[in-house]
Amino acid sequence: MIVRVRDLVKRYGDILALDHLSFSIEEGEIFGLLGPNGSGKTTAINCILSLLKYDKGEIEIFGQPMRPDAYDIKRNIGIVMQNVAVYNELTVYQNIDYFCGLYVKDKNTRKKLVDEAVEFTGLGEYIRFYPKKLSGGLLRRLNIACGIAHKPKLIILDEPTVAVDPQSRNRILEGILELNRHGATIIYTSHYMDEVERICSRIMIIDRGREIATGTSDELKAMISLGEKITVESYSITEAQISAIRELHGITSVEYKDNKLIIKSEKGTNNLETVLDFIRKENIHFGRIYSEMPTLNDVFLEITGKELRD
Amino acid sequence: MQVFKLCLMIIYKNKATLLIYIVIFMVVSSFMSSVSAKEMEDSTSFKPVKTEVAFFSDEDTPLINGFREELADVANFVDIPDETVALQDALYYREVSCIIRVPEGFTKKFMNGENVQLEKISIPNSTKNVHIDLFIDKYFNTARLYVQNMEGITQQELVRYLKKDLSETVSTEMVEDEKKTSDMASAKYSLNFFAYPLLSVIIMGMGTLMLIFNDRDLKMRNNCSPVSSTSISMQFVLGNLVFTFLSWLIMLIICLAMNFRNIFSPNTVFHIAGSFVFAFCCSGISFFIGNLTNSHEAVTAAANVASLGLSFISGVFVPQELIGSSVLKAASFTPTYWYVRANNTIADLTVFSYEALKPVLNDFLIIIGFGLAFFSASLAIRKAKTND
Repeated sequence: MIVRVRDLVKRYGDILALDHLSFSIEEGEIFGLLGPNGSGKTTAINCILSLLKYDKGEIEIFGQPMRPDAYDIKRNIGIVMQNVAVYNELTVYQNIDYFCGLYVKDKNTRKKLVDEAVEFTGLGEYIRFYPKKLSGGLLRRLNIACGIAHKPKLIILDEPTVAVDPQSRNRILEGILELNRHGATIIYTSHYMDEVERICSRIMIIDRGREIATGTSDELKAMISLGEKITVESYSITEAQISAIRELHGITSVEYKDNKLIIKSEKGTNNLETVLDFIRKENIHFGRIYSEMPTLNDVFLEITGKELRD
Repeated sequence: MQVFKLCLMIIYKNKATLLIYIVIFMVVSSFMSSVSAKEMEDSTSFKPVKTEVAFFSDEDTPLINGFREELADVANFVDIPDETVALQDALYYREVSCIIRVPEGFTKKFMNGENVQLEKISIPNSTKNVHIDLFIDKYFNTARLYVQNMEGITQQELVRYLKKDLSETVSTEMVEDEKKTSDMASAKYSLNFFAYPLLSVIIMGMGTLMLIFNDRDLKMRNNCSPVSSTSISMQFVLGNLVFTFLSWLIMLIICLAMNFRNIFSPNTVFHIAGSFVFAFCCSGISFFIGNLTNSHEAVTAAANVASLGLSFISGVFVPQELIGSSVLKAASFTPTYWYVRANNTIADLTVFSYEALKPVLNDFLIIIGFGLAFFSASLAIRKAKTND
């Protein structure tokens, strides 16, 4: 067990930021903490790192209780903060070297590690640049390089792709997967479902500091009643036709709004062929028709009654 | 020692800005100190100044003529019509400092030993009149002695005796080494003024450094590392002290270069020691202020308020002798006061025994105490902030 959090409670005055949050992370996992803004992801991370005092609960890392003075534990943790934390007075190389130097004393070893981090994040061309000269994506990559240069066993990435262009985001996500392939256990927080779904081996959805659900992406989707969702873009569907579709086998709901007919099916049923037959038979004109499986947003919506992206 | 090295790197990156600060402050303070030292030098040397006087006499006697002749040594006679309005205007517009009138029958009564007085109207609270009053008293008191003791003395004889007596002078010699005193005064004022640029530059420099280090995200990031917050603080204090030392050294070299005549005096060694001790205290003050400020504007404001405020009340700009006792009492709660006091004492030293140096060493200890107090308070604030 790399991380074990039990019954974590954190209050900010009257606001309950973490409400008896519990989870554990095995070695080699990419554990995703998914939740909307203000759900308590960063608070949980700050408590895990002993940056924040908490009111109740226990945190163990590498089997040892985590405390502000647990320097042996800290030595094996890499942190990539939500906000870019680098010194504007230092160059890219000097920044990575400084943060790596907080963990690694030997100069030669450090040089090797810094060079590897520079190569890993693709910052080779920019080592003499000052952070102010870097784009948002490059800055995020620098932030990551500073966090992982010392080759930690546990890497915590707190929303590392916020305000990053798609190209840089892909590179960052690929990098995280590579770090994991090299043996690092990763905690990844985000409010982007697609990212979490793409890289995390296990996901915990949290809202208002509480655990909503935990499992793999498939396990989470299996928890809800919703199955396939079929969308038909058409402007000529009558009320009678909508009622007829509603009567088809395995259909749970039909909604027609803004020239889009959304047909939701029961879990485990596939109705695309049935719907296509009906459209053909009724001679309904349509622009596009497509089928989607449930997303983590659907999971969040069904459990909390609100959209994750809100 | 990553944090310490980082401090040095940041100082190095900001060297141009800091040097500009140092040069500007040193030029300004050197100019101000040279002006003050010149003023003080002037105030210790005596230059006779004549007073503007309107003189009217209602009689023409040898005694009064002799008096007028002697009075001319200390007065410039101004011709004004003997009319009330004209005389009042002359006093009002300061054309004259006083009007002296000899009433009719004055000489006769004086020679008979009667108590008589000259009529004198002067500008109220005029210091120049004191000089005239002293001269009048001196002239007629001496004359009265002759009249009382030499029966039958004529006015001509009396005037001759008075002329001889009043021309007598006594030469006075200053015991102090004039050159040394003058040089030491200049060094004293330069080193007193040194407090102002030292405070300003160190607060500005350290404030800038601390703004970087107090950035919330960077602080959190550093606290995630396996380096204890105490170690981070201590390394930062060390960086702070190195910056202070370098600033002090550069400014001291400039200051001594401007007072090179005095460089080999034993007093200078103690002046340097005093400024070093004060620089340590400045470091504590700047560390304290840096922990309380969170923007560049706030640092600049704090640097101005602290350096100007402490300098004004403690006798950096105005000699302590000219500052009110209540202000000095308040100033004694600031390190600048003790620094200036120590400097003044050092400048007056001619013997360098333990007994002579004891008050200076006491002042140094008080300044070190202030520095330690500021450092302790700053570390406590940092600790409290980290725990939050």
